[in-house]
Parts: sequence; C-alpha cells; structure tokens
Amino acid sequence: MKWTRTLLVYLVLLTGAALTLAPFVLSVMTAFKTPEQFARRSSLSWPDPVTLENFGVLLTGRTEFGRAIVITVLAALLLVAGQLLFSIMAAYAFARMRFPGRDALFWVYLSTLMIPAIVLVIPLYLMMAQLGLRNTFWGLVLPFAFASPYATFLLREYFRGIPQDLVDAARLDGANALDVLVEVVVPLSRPIIATVTLITVVSQWNSFLWPRVITTGNDWRPITVATASLQSQYNGNWTLVMAATTLAVVPLLALFLVFQKQIVRSIAITGFK
Amino acid sequence: MAKRSTVIAITVAAAVVIVGAVGAGVAVLGSRDTGGAAGAKGDTTVTVRVWDEQVASAYEQSFQAFEDKNPDIDVKLTVVPWADYWTKLRTDVAGKSAADIFWVNNSYFADYADNGDLLDIDKTLGSDAKSAWAPSVVKQFTRNGSLWGVPQLSDAGIAVYYNKALLKDAGIDPASLENLTWSPDASADTFVPVLQKLTKDAAGHTADDADFDPASVTQYGYNAGNDLQAIYINYIGSNGGTYQDGDRFTFANPKTVEAFQYLVDLMNTYHVAPSAADTNQNGDFSRDQFIQGKMALFQSGLYNLKNVADGADFDWGVASIPAGPEGRVSVTNGIVAAGNAATEHPEATKKVLEWMGSAEGNEFVGASGAAVPAVTDAQPVYRSYWENQGVDTSKFFDVLKNGTIPAPQGANFGAAFGAYGPILEDVFAGRVPVAEGLQKAQDAANAALDG
Amino acid sequence: MAVSDGIRQRAATVQRPGLRRARRRNAIAGYAFLAPSLFGVACFLVLPVLVVIWLSFQSWDLISPARWVGLDNYRSVLTDGVFANSLLVTLVFVVIVIPVQTVLGLFAATLLTRGLPGSGVLRTLYVLPWICAPLALGVVWKWIFAPTGGALNAIIGHRVEWLSEPQLALPAVCAVVIWTNVGYVTLFFMAGLLNIPAYLLEAGRLDGAGPAALFWHVKLPLLRPTMFFVLVTSVISTFQIFDQVYALTGGGPQRRTDVVAARIYYEAFESFSFGRAAVMAVILLVILVAITLAQQLYFQRRITYEMD
Repeated sequence: MKWTRTLLVYLVLLTGAALTLAPFVLSVMTAFKTPEQFARRSSLSWPDPVTLENFGVLLTGRTEFGRAIVITVLAALLLVAGQLLFSIMAAYAFARMRFPGRDALFWVYLSTLMIPAIVLVIPLYLMMAQLGLRNTFWGLVLPFAFASPYATFLLREYFRGIPQDLVDAARLDGANALDVLVEVVVPLSRPIIATVTLITVVSQWNSFLWPRVITTGNDWRPITVATASLQSQYNGNWTLVMAATTLAVVPLLALFLVFQKQIVRSIAITGFK
Repeated sequence: MAKRSTVIAITVAAAVVIVGAVGAGVAVLGSRDTGGAAGAKGDTTVTVRVWDEQVASAYEQSFQAFEDKNPDIDVKLTVVPWADYWTKLRTDVAGKSAADIFWVNNSYFADYADNGDLLDIDKTLGSDAKSAWAPSVVKQFTRNGSLWGVPQLSDAGIAVYYNKALLKDAGIDPASLENLTWSPDASADTFVPVLQKLTKDAAGHTADDADFDPASVTQYGYNAGNDLQAIYINYIGSNGGTYQDGDRFTFANPKTVEAFQYLVDLMNTYHVAPSAADTNQNGDFSRDQFIQGKMALFQSGLYNLKNVADGADFDWGVASIPAGPEGRVSVTNGIVAAGNAATEHPEATKKVLEWMGSAEGNEFVGASGAAVPAVTDAQPVYRSYWENQGVDTSKFFDVLKNGTIPAPQGANFGAAFGAYGPILEDVFAGRVPVAEGLQKAQDAANAALDG
Repeated sequence: MAVSDGIRQRAATVQRPGLRRARRRNAIAGYAFLAPSLFGVACFLVLPVLVVIWLSFQSWDLISPARWVGLDNYRSVLTDGVFANSLLVTLVFVVIVIPVQTVLGLFAATLLTRGLPGSGVLRTLYVLPWICAPLALGVVWKWIFAPTGGALNAIIGHRVEWLSEPQLALPAVCAVVIWTNVGYVTLFFMAGLLNIPAYLLEAGRLDGAGPAALFWHVKLPLLRPTMFFVLVTSVISTFQIFDQVYALTGGGPQRRTDVVAARIYYEAFESFSFGRAAVMAVILLVILVAITLAQQLYFQRRITYEMD
C-alpha cells in the first residue's frame, strides 16, 4: 500500500520533470539536425546524422552570433561590476550611516521597485537617443550600470542584520566608514553578495526589451535580440533557430548546474526574476 | 590597516581590469570592417544599410572595388532583416543614428522624403544622372518633382516557378500552364482544377478527390496567400480592381473583393495552398515548401530566383502567371539607395552614391544573379548570368508588356499597413467575410493615413 | 602597531572640537557612498518617469516635431477600445495563469517535501525554465506550436493551429507562462511547507486527521503568508509579461494575446505613437502602484491581526 503510493508520487513527479525538460530536449535535438532531415522526417526523430552545421552558420555567417555572445558577456560583466559595487556602497550608507534625508531617499529607492521595465523603456530610449547613444554599447549598459534599487534593498537588509557590536568594535579600533565596510561588513555578507551577483548575471543575460529597443542590426545586439531577429528572418528554418535558442540558453544552464544550490537558495530568499 | 588597503587595492584593480577589459572588447567590436589596409587613420567611413543578404554579398564586392579606387573612404555595409527594417529605420533616422546610405522601397520612402530626411538625388548627383537608370524605377521614386534615391534593383514582373517532376506526376504539360485562366466566375476558370490535381494529402488523394483530407496536406498546388507583391496585388490588377488611388486605399471596390475571395477560396475551400496560419506571418513559408519539393507551383518574382536556383535539387521551370479577366497584370517594383540628409560626410556619401548608380558599381548585383540591376547598362550582365545557368528569365519581363498595377506608395504607409495588415490576416484565415474585412481594412488604413 | 596607535589618537583629537562637524563629515561620507547609485536612480529611474508623464501630453511620431495635445492622448487611449482590450487580455491572463500555477506549484511542493530521495534533483529541474531567457524559450515554444514542422502536432498526430486560432492562442501562451513559472512557485511552497513546525503536524495526527484533513486544516492555513507572497509577486509579474508574447504571437490573432506591455511596445516602436504609448505606460504604472499599496496595507493589517 505504502510503496504503491510512493510509486504514484514518483510517477507524477517524473511526468512533471518530463514536461519541464521536453522542450529543452526537443529543441536541442532539432539544433543538431540537418535542414534536409528536418524537412523530410518527423520533427520528433533523432538527429541523424548529427550535424554542427547550424551552429557553424550562426557563429561564422552573417548572423554573427559569436559577436552577440561576446557583447552579452561584456555587458553582463560591466553591469554586474557596476551594480554590485555601487549597490554595496549605497546599501551600506542606508544601513549604517547617518545623514539627512536618508530615510526619504530610501523610500524613493523602494518606490522605484514598482516601475515596470516597459514604462522605462520609452523615456530611456528618447534620453539615449538625445545623448547620441542609440545603437552603441554604452547606450546598452549606461542606464543600468549605476544602480539596482533591488540589490541595494537586499544588501541593506542583510547589512542591518550584522551585529552592531562588531561595527562598534571596529570603530573603537579607529576604523572609519570605509574600513568598516571593507573589513567587517563585506566579509560577513558573502552569501548575499553571491546571491546578488547571480541574480544580476541571470537577469542581464536574459534581458531582451531594452536591448531590442536600443540596438539595430548586428552591431551591439546581445544574444536574446539576435535570437529574436533570427527567428523573424529565418522563419521556418527551425534547425537554425533552435541552434540559436540553444546558444542563448546553454551558458545559463551551465551556470545553473555549477551554482544550482546557491541559485535555488537565492530564488527562495529573494524571489528574484 | 594593511588588510584594508589590500582589499581596496584589489577592488580598484578589479574595477580597472573589468572596465578596461570591457572597454577593450568594445573597442575591438566597434572597429570591425574598418580594419586592414583600407582602415588607416583619417579615413572617412560611409555606412550603408540594406535588408537583403544575397544582394549584400554582391555589394561587398562592389564596395571593395570602390575602396580600391578611393582609398580614403571606407564603406561599411550592414544588413538589417526585413522584419525589423522599417521600424529600426524610423528609430534610427529619429535618433540620428541612421546609415549614410540606406535602401528604401516604394511603400516607405515617401515619409522620409516628405520630412526632408533624404538627399534630393537631382541636386546631389545632378538631374542628368537619372538618364542612366531604369525609367520605371525613376518614376516610382519621384515625388514632388524630385528623385529620392539612386535606383539599385528592379524586380521586373511576377511569374510562376514550377516543379517539373510534380507536374509530370499529375500528368500536366508545363506548356499548358501558359493557357490557364483564373476567374471569379467558376465556369470561366481553368486554374482551380489544375491546382487540385497538384495538391495531395498524406494518403495520396488529390484535392479533387472526395476522400481528400485537408488537414494532412503533404504537397501544395500553389502559394495563394497573404503576399502583396507576389500574389494579391497581381490578382487585383488582373481582375481590374484597384489597391490605391493616389495615397488613399481602395480595397473595398467590388473587383478587388472578387480577387481576394478567389484567393481565400483557394486556401480555405479548395485547400490547394498552405493555410493562413503558416503563411500569414511567414513570408518565406511557401518558398521553403517549394524548395523542399512540397509545392508544385510557386508564384514569385526574380527576387527569389537565386534562392530557388541555389536551393532546389530538382528540375524546375518558369511559367507565366495565370491570366485573369483583364489578362495578365503584374506589379513591378524597384529599390533605391537613399542618401541620409543628416549624413556627417556629404562628400564621401555622394561619391558612394555615384558609384552605386554607375554601371560599373551596380553590375556586381547582376553578376552574381542576385537581382536585376536598375542601372540600365548593368542589366545585360544579369540576363547573361542566368542564360549561362540555363535559366530563361523572359517570363518575368514579358508579363509587363500586357499591363502593370502600381506598387503601393504614399506618405504614412507604415502606419496604414500596421492598421490594415492584421485585418487582412483575418481575411486570409477566413475569420471575417472577405467584403466585410476589406471594408474594415480600407477604413482602418485610411484612418491611419489621416493620423 | 605604534603607527596605528598614533593615528587613533590623532583621530580622537580631531573629533573633539564639535559634534556638529563630525556629523557633517558623516553626512558627507554618507552622500559620497550613495552618490553613484543615487545618480543612477535619479537619471535612469526617476527622471524617466517624469519624461513619460510629460510625453503622455505630446503627439509625437519620432520624425516630425512633438506637439502638446493636452489630454487628447488620454481621450483616445481610453475610448478607442484597443487599450481596454489589452487590459482585458492581461486580466484574463492573470485569471488563467495564477490559479493554475499556484495549484500545480502547491501540489508539486507537497510531493517534493515527503522526504523521498531525488526530491532535490527534481526541484532543481523544475526551476530550469525560470532561469532561462523568456525570449529564447518563447522562440522554442513557437516552434513546438508551429502548425507545420512543430513538435506538438507531430506528437498528437493532428494538425492544430495553436497560435493562430483565436480561441487557442491565449491558452497556449498562458500554458507557456505557467510552464515557466511552476518551478519557481514550487520553491516557495516547499520552503513554506518545510517551515511548518513538526509538532503542529504531529498534534494534527494525534487528533486523528488524515493526510487530506492535515493539508486543508493545518498546512494550508499555515502557508497563508507564502501564498500571499506568491500571489502578489505573480500578479505583478503577469501584468508585465512581454517577452513570451513578443516571441509567440506578437499580440495576435485579432489582438487576443495583446497584453498591456506588448501593446505599449507596439504603439511606441512599431506604430510610433509615442504619446499614446506614454499614456498606456502611465496607466500601467498607476495600476501596479495600486496593487503594491493594496498589498502593503493588507500585509500590515494581517501582521497586527496575527500578533493579537
């Protein structure tokens, strides 16, 4: 009785896993097929022969997916560095320093969390166009390089949880604000900093709306935009398109497999998207 | 205190390394296409934007030849896919980040011309320059007395690619395709029966068989569908209907309604063409089916000749489009390279435009068979290329002798198309009765023109 | 050591002259720490909101000069039915997606917290779609749903036009969103379930409650805060859904999947009606602020209630 129940539970759970994984598996299978096989045989058939042709076309042809990947990496690198550094500093100011207007400013930060991306895109587009930064790398990253109110918020909460005694002890040792941040707060906050880093990497890698709006053609588009425009250009060339989605998804899957515990925990802590 | 300075030093170093690495990466990415011998300091870079990959390859060679003659000018070519082309062009022109030279077509150039965004070619290259270019294209892109681009491609007319083996299987003589007539009056129509014979389901039943299963078509007869240039504007023309009167839209006239009704019936009643779900948003679906040997007749223009010739591994030929009640009427179309009025390098841009408008510069387009050059003296190269390939392109040109219907044009076409496009999709999908849908589409399009 | 002692003494003497100066120095240090981030917030979050409000009173197609039109954009957006349709579509989205993903997530979480081996791996698998780019997965699903050459029709062996049939398109897009979100929702419910003190469950069992009664009368009430969090964040994110719709349907057929964010995007960057798009953006912002405030109010009241 008990084992049939367990069996049933596994059955349900594995069905769920199969449904979750099927689109990944099917799309990767398609990415390794020749267009001829795709046209002539069932779309569920195994790739035969297995070919790298589609990836070759993407990486060496006019679509310049290699370039798109490099741009994605560079943008993510810069944005992670900028957001992390400046958010840690801001969070520390909010959590541990006293200055007039602090609470009002923090309230402003919190309020900005309610602004949806689609609302920002229109004015940001106009502002970047005014600055002559349309279709440039700097236009792609500038609006997001300085601040992440969300990261600031998460870090501030964590910083506030650090026992005041430790800070006071350092203070008595003559440490100034920077000393305290560098020597006490940051070392004690490694988990939340790791979380914020992962959140930022994932969300930058996946971001689509802003890059789609601010870039044109191959010059500065990241991988998501490259995938979308490939889909509209090579409509129906599904082997090629699935190779593109594979390239867009695999680096994150790899990151996920390496850091899966941290990522799962990060989601659970923060509910990030 | 050593610890703190170390940490800060590491942080600063890390920041410098990251910013430096990203900056270097960006610099490398930003310098492409200006590298090599031609990329010395002080060179002027002229940017050119097009939407067609085939022609882009020909342009690469053409611009290489240009750079050899003009070592102080670099030409940087960008391809922006058709699906994004017009929306991105608008944002780029507004954001002052448009290319120095960009392709425009008949439908969309008027907005930019009216807004003063394009160089007046008569002033830039002199009004005598146009004598070297295909008159039909010059005429198409002349608005308010001025020419707004250097003619580059001329699409000639529309014809029908056919798959010889599929015709043979159905017992149809390719020569008989020349005698086909379509008509809203079923008794005068000889086209549908042929298409039915050429359409098969998974069980091998043809579309005129009672057992035919439209849900499992494995071979389509024809590519009736939501395709302005290849399909419906020619049907409108050959039925004596109109699409536009000046800049205003006129789809709802009875002759146009009949033409659309005929096409919708081919798709949804006779099932001899792919469903609107496949073709509405995928302009290449039918071409791909033809190339894969799953479509017998594929009506299109010379713009697909190269794709068909490269892609099809079966014997194929070209026939005339079916005649309608008014005979064979085809659209013809051209593409021009427009100069950006806001260019920072007017002199260099002028030189590149001059080159693109010369027989020597334009010939590359024809030499690879990618498209018909619009510079008259460059055109023979195109025909001889295809003659050498054993392809007779005369059907695409002959169709124009009988009569043509003007290609869409006018200010605000983009907004109008945005308004009526989705309604036409509904018409082709059979979700709205044809007459009602076209009336709605016409109203929406004209309302959008009025802004 | 001696050097640092010296510095400490000097620091102490410098501080002595007055609290005010120390406070001012603290304030300057605080602003200095905040400066880069504040610059970002002011320029790229606060200023854009002001710009979008200003824009909502303009008529602008990007290439001709912007023109002040007062409330005309508001009038046209509120009366022409296009935006009303988008709001309705978004609402239907919320009504379909949220209950389904909540129930599935809760169900999966109860199965995964039974302590069976392999639960951790499965949990990780379920979260995969959440990690990946919604745009890329939208494109994958576009292929799966494709009427010709698509995987789903090959599986069911029958031709269905999932994304172009008006009755099917919205449920199909909803299914993709649910597929993306279930793992994420599951995570939260797992955390919530694992937080329930064992003694409460034990007490329930001693009272003779079966698994079903235990679930309905003990677990579910205790999951209320989790449930609340999941529902609110899901509603907010569903209101902003864009990438999947862009990839799958572009808002069609017949605007059946034309969610608010997609509508704003198309008004601005395809129709170039920036004024109208700005009005829609302002309205969306107001809606989201209202939802968030309502949540805050409710939350505060709940907490006091639970503390009593």
